[in-house]
Amino acid sequence: MTAAHVRDTDRRWTLPSVNALGDVTETVLAPLMDRRAGKKYWLAVAVSLVITVIGFAAMGFSFVYGPGLWGNNTAVVWGFPIANYVWWIGIGNAGTLISSLLLLTRQKWRASINRFAEAMTLFAVSMAGIFPILHLGRQIYFYWMAPYPNTMGVWPQWRSALVWDFWAIVCYLLFSILFFYVGLLPDVAALRDRPGKRGWRLFYGFLAMGWQGTPRQWQLQDRLHHALAVLAVPLVCSVHSIVGFDFAASMMPGWIESLFPPYFVVGALFSGFAMVVLIALTLRWAMGLEGIIVPRHFDAIARIIVASAIVMGASYAMEWFSAFWSGDPDELRVVGFEFTGPYWPLYYAMLACNVAIPQLFWVPKLRTNAWALTGISLAVLVGMWLERILIIMETLSTGYEPSFWRLYSATFVDFAILAGTLAAFVLLFLIFARLLPVCSMYETRELLAEERR
Amino acid sequence: MSHIAVAIARFDDEGPYVRARTRAVAHDFAILGEWCPYPPKGIPALPGTGRIVWTVAITGIIGAIGLFALACATTYAYPFDSGGRPLFSWQTFLIPATEFLALAGAIGGVVALFRMARLTRLNHPAFDFEEMLHASLDSFVLALACDTEDNANAAIALLAETGAVHTRLVDS
Repeated sequence: MTAAHVRDTDRRWTLPSVNALGDVTETVLAPLMDRRAGKKYWLAVAVSLVITVIGFAAMGFSFVYGPGLWGNNTAVVWGFPIANYVWWIGIGNAGTLISSLLLLTRQKWRASINRFAEAMTLFAVSMAGIFPILHLGRQIYFYWMAPYPNTMGVWPQWRSALVWDFWAIVCYLLFSILFFYVGLLPDVAALRDRPGKRGWRLFYGFLAMGWQGTPRQWQLQDRLHHALAVLAVPLVCSVHSIVGFDFAASMMPGWIESLFPPYFVVGALFSGFAMVVLIALTLRWAMGLEGIIVPRHFDAIARIIVASAIVMGASYAMEWFSAFWSGDPDELRVVGFEFTGPYWPLYYAMLACNVAIPQLFWVPKLRTNAWALTGISLAVLVGMWLERILIIMETLSTGYEPSFWRLYSATFVDFAILAGTLAAFVLLFLIFARLLPVCSMYETRELLAEERR
Repeated sequence: MSHIAVAIARFDDEGPYVRARTRAVAHDFAILGEWCPYPPKGIPALPGTGRIVWTVAITGIIGAIGLFALACATTYAYPFDSGGRPLFSWQTFLIPATEFLALAGAIGGVVALFRMARLTRLNHPAFDFEEMLHASLDSFVLALACDTEDNANAAIALLAETGAVHTRLVDS
């Protein structure tokens, strides 16, 4: 991406190379319908598949031998599984939030990024959903969290944060699938109508459910899409607030803070946008989408990332200030432990990744430089994961009872499970990129028509 | 109205299509079908489409009330002292009820979309028109019903005048 590109697209969200409605269809569908993936694609599939198998084998061992394989101990009872859950659900929350917020605020640039951002949500929430089940200890009874008539007459404990998590994940995942599908309908109809192999056309024809694109169908789809977006924004905020409540509703120092729910929601948006940047850069390069995902998109996302980083910095400062303002010795001990305890290198690294490094986006050139975007987005994702694990380690390692202070160190199984979910996420994305349009074609056509007027 | 032929036209752009549609309605042509590659702006809101939003709202509220009632009922059916909290802890019951509001609303909305947009009909006579297949890719397509030969010629002329890139008369 060069400065010339930025000048070309100063007032456009598509490049002049995409000029006709048919160009949009061709640009997005060519990599799909061509059906010939290159060596790099299959290499990526192979690598991610191997790591996924290792990760899921580690989960299998955990099912058989129990949480003793992890770094969790009698004090730090929440380790990697809960940190991974919070991190993945944060990324998962961002996709639907980005898509629905941009739809409601009529941001034209949404057209190029909403589809893969929503797919990111589906895959990330699926990964997140694994961890609470894994952490149950007796995973085979996970369905006890669902209310169903049973011979024992036992019902879920609605006052438990675990049940809140169950409803948050299930409702959010199913809602996101429906939201994704409503936006996808017209585009799978295009895949059905385009010349290609009969088997694939039947598959897409089934998904399209007989969509024709009549004005009545468009008006109904548009109204429903907006209505779902109105529901999605509070839903997303509530889902990550519930995750914040998992901590804030406890009595532990460092966790019992009213700041947690909004701070978690902003953190979700922050990490989600960082993941969107990485996915957008990869898709743009691998699928030849330079005409549809333009430097101006990255510039807009980078501005949001830098704004979120400032809010994250303010949230950390508020945490420290709250401890000092309360005068509570346990709260003060946790803050002191963050800066001077044995985890201090991780804490400073987290502050650097989440607050300091994203400030580089104040430099306009870096907002459209692929290397800078990749580096800073990776830093944000690492920083947000460190934040999740440190919230758990700092508080539980130095709780109320000194005789109960234990340090935490992760095991190979912990790292293997985390790597396995990362690889599974990549693998799902690789399959998605070959099966379905990664950008919304009908919205990009609409955007193109507006830009041509 | 019985018709002897169908005049079909394909447009490259939204403007000519909306013009053709407007003129066809003004000249009392019956629109047999129209298909677009994205939501057309120049067409007024069609009657009944607003009901889908109410369906989302009503099914969402019913779902939330239902789940709240389930939480209340099952808490009393299996009373359990959780940290001394009251059995009727409505604040905590609101959390899953709020989540379920969105899901129930979305399910109601998608079912309503299928019903109101007449989806799930995978094999429709409209798919027999070759032009219609372009509508999901890059073109606007308009089909007018013609009851006489003169009427059919007039329809083709109207469609060509308004900027159609392709017109065709199909015998009924």
